[in-house]
Amino acid sequence: MAEVKSMFREVLPKQGQLSVEDITTMVLCKPKLLPLKSLTLEKLEKMQQAAQDTIRQQEVTEKEQQQITQ
Amino acid sequence: MGSEMEPLLLAWSYFRRRKFQLCTDLCTQMLEKSPYDQEPDPELPVSQAAWILKARALTEMVYIDEIDVHQEGIAEMVLDENAIAQVPRPGTSLKLPGTNQTGGPSPAVRPITQAGRPITGFLRPSTQSGRPGTMEQAIRTPRTAYTARPITSSSGRFVRLGTASMLTSPDGPFINLSRLNLAKYAQKPKLAKALFEYIFHHENDVKTALDLAALSTEHSQYKDWWWKVQIGKCYYRLGMYREAEKQFKSALKQQEMVDTFLYLAKVYISLDQPVTALNLFKQGLDKFPGEVTLLCGIARIYEEMNNIPSATEYYKEVLKQDNTHVEAIACIGSNHFYSDQPEVALRFYRRLLQMGVYNCQLFNNLGLCCFYAQQYDMTLTSFERALSLAENEEEVADVWYNLGHVAVGIGDTNLAHQCFRLALVNNNHHAEAYNNLAVLEMRKGHVDQARALLQTASSLAPHMYEPHFNFATISDKIGDLQRSYVAAQKSEAAFPDHVDTQHLIKQLKRHFAML
Repeated sequence: MAEVKSMFREVLPKQGQLSVEDITTMVLCKPKLLPLKSLTLEKLEKMQQAAQDTIRQQEVTEKEQQQITQ
Repeated sequence: MGSEMEPLLLAWSYFRRRKFQLCTDLCTQMLEKSPYDQEPDPELPVSQAAWILKARALTEMVYIDEIDVHQEGIAEMVLDENAIAQVPRPGTSLKLPGTNQTGGPSPAVRPITQAGRPITGFLRPSTQSGRPGTMEQAIRTPRTAYTARPITSSSGRFVRLGTASMLTSPDGPFINLSRLNLAKYAQKPKLAKALFEYIFHHENDVKTALDLAALSTEHSQYKDWWWKVQIGKCYYRLGMYREAEKQFKSALKQQEMVDTFLYLAKVYISLDQPVTALNLFKQGLDKFPGEVTLLCGIARIYEEMNNIPSATEYYKEVLKQDNTHVEAIACIGSNHFYSDQPEVALRFYRRLLQMGVYNCQLFNNLGLCCFYAQQYDMTLTSFERALSLAENEEEVADVWYNLGHVAVGIGDTNLAHQCFRLALVNNNHHAEAYNNLAVLEMRKGHVDQARALLQTASSLAPHMYEPHFNFATISDKIGDLQRSYVAAQKSEAAFPDHVDTQHLIKQLKRHFAML
């Protein structure tokens, strides 16, 4: 094993200049953790959904009744 | 058995078991038998009891904690008369979050909301509004990270709930408010309190509620702190913050309650005086040491002021008192994730899962944490679960967007491409997905498509620096220096400390000087 280790040794130049070309790369937007919802918010959304559903149902039944009378 | 039971007792039992619909139905039947309409009659105690019970059950059905309610319509945001200074000093206002002076995360790591704050780990009604700086911004309201919703729903939310409740009862509303003799009810404190809550929460008629509260507090000779708090609540809803402040302070003098502290702090937050609110919370903590809601209030203010270290400190304090506090766990978890410790964040989110939180958001976060903590076996299953639990298309879009990142991470560009496309199919306004798609198109060498995507992204979310910067880079490459400069300036406005943007601008300025 010791022989294998000695085979690979890193090369670190001790003298001379190091130059790196700085290329501007494009940026990705970051991954987004989704925020959890508070209970109040969930209840509000549920109530809002229910309210909208009832209104929609009401409208549908009204339309049907109008069609019947016509 | 049920039919033999005393109906009032049964109704009470329904109420206690939170079966409010059944309770109201039963009360309605009882009231039909012995009508007790608008006039309280002392000779009919049973129907009076049924009447109160029905009012309370109806209230409970639509009850939401008033402390959490924070409605800010477009008028309040743009035409704010309560602002003390147009240009407040840094660190004293919620509208001008200090950028990075307090060690907040940079937008290069943590995505920001439209208002320029880092996205939070927990969503409450008040975190949704996000005050836009200008009218133009307010009207456009890009919905990124769910921080800004269309204006109509924020102002119309409470009104609509009221109308819906009226529609469901075919004989009109339970109590006809305009025919109510408020002075008479104010004489009866117990009745008046139930009636007030009904008017305030169920009917949302703040003005009538205020009248009743004013009469009642007069009747109690200004000695009942409860009525003062209610008047304060009404004033707050009507946007009369200074009057509300007076009422709450007076109530606190009589009787110190946690709720009153919270309401008063809410007034200060609406007046954009976070430092006063912080002091108030600390006063409250002197009286009620270790009170979780107060600690949590402090943490929220620090978070909104972009002072993440202090916010985390207080969230940790909250967890010491209550180790099942979802908000604190979620916020600390997201802070760890965005400060490069996904494995610690994973522990917090796993804790939430153990506590029984089971929704799309949590599994999405678990998936992301697993991926970045190199636990690849769990990643895709978590995301699959998140997709199956998603309730609406916006959530689906966000999960696909994050899956796109996983695909980018493993170098599968085709999969990433498809993921971002799917995000856009589900939510056409997903600016981040547009931006990332543009980056992928650019790698393939499709310059025109990338430019078009970036333009869409930057018009959807002008607060993000990425699309502006990318657009500037592309324009610079193809030699359109003027456009590049304009975009770079926008990018600098969104994220002043971004080094690459500063380089680009310097470079462009040199070019222009040579011409």
